[in-house]
Amino acid sequence: MEQRNGILSADYKVKGGKLLRCSLRMDNNVISSIKITGDFFMYPEEKIESLEEMLTGVEMNEASVIEKINDFFNSNVQVVGADAEDFVKLVMSASAD
Amino acid sequence: MEEWRLLLTDAKDAFTNMAIDEAVLRQVAEKKSKNTVRFFQWVPSTVSIGYFQGINQEVDLGVCENKGVDVVRRITGGGAVFHDYNGEITYSVAVTENHPKVPKNIIDSYHVLCGGLVNGFKILGLNAEFKPINDIVVNNKKISGSAHTRRFGGVLQHGTILYDVNISLMFSLLKVSDEKIRDKMIKSVEERVTSIKKEKGNADKKKVIDAMTKGFEKALDIKLVKGELSQEEIEIAEELKVNKYGTKEWNFKR
Repeated sequence: MEQRNGILSADYKVKGGKLLRCSLRMDNNVISSIKITGDFFMYPEEKIESLEEMLTGVEMNEASVIEKINDFFNSNVQVVGADAEDFVKLVMSASAD
Repeated sequence: MEEWRLLLTDAKDAFTNMAIDEAVLRQVAEKKSKNTVRFFQWVPSTVSIGYFQGINQEVDLGVCENKGVDVVRRITGGGAVFHDYNGEITYSVAVTENHPKVPKNIIDSYHVLCGGLVNGFKILGLNAEFKPINDIVVNNKKISGSAHTRRFGGVLQHGTILYDVNISLMFSLLKVSDEKIRDKMIKSVEERVTSIKKEKGNADKKKVIDAMTKGFEKALDIKLVKGELSQEEIEIAEELKVNKYGTKEWNFKR
């Protein structure tokens, strides 16, 4: 499989209108840092940092990303305006400009 | 009938405004202040961004600086809002989280609290409707957007009431994903956003606030009694302004 490196980003429009964005750094196909931004709602808000931490160190393949995002959604957090699948699509669609 | 406090804090700077919202939320949550509905404006005009937004992704900071527009990150999620001193009134509601009128479900809470605004717009003669998740529309055009958070044991919802709107000014302050389609975007937003003035031909700030006050009284079955910030709230707000909302660390955290 192709080894991807460098800065990748994505914008993903959720059905219903919210916009999710991410910018991530990849080293040998592993997410080494990630920032997720957008106009969604999450309670408590600080949990966004846990999501970013959970995704850090994860191999960039759909199964691994789904697992982490599902774990996050099953933790004590409420997200309004986007669901787990939207976050998976966001991360998986990240590409170099 | 339950009495809540009505706060009319006029026009203040961005950092003070957001500090007051949080100070009131904290004191309401601790039951040291009455549940509160507040109306206010922003001077200088301000772009507020949602908690999760990237400041550089959303806001053209150079243009804001040139035009003397402040930028502040909110405690609440949601999108960027231009609080134009000449066209916008902001409301906020702070209430204890276990209040019987506040549903546990967040989308239901938006519906209940936005009900106050829907009633207010109706008093002004506009056929307003709540549009999930967090908007109010008149003839399918957005006239108000809200954002909500729950913390410290309280609920804070604040949002915008558009009485006049300058979309090209608004868009000069915000980044658009593709500069080539800026004009097209402005046009499409002009078709999707409205204001009290656009719908009625005129808009008087005081009448708008009076109508919204009555709207909240009806929606929540409360009596709003004019009050002031407590000394504690003033002190907490001052601290939050200096150590949080006025800091680069907070505003540039994403």
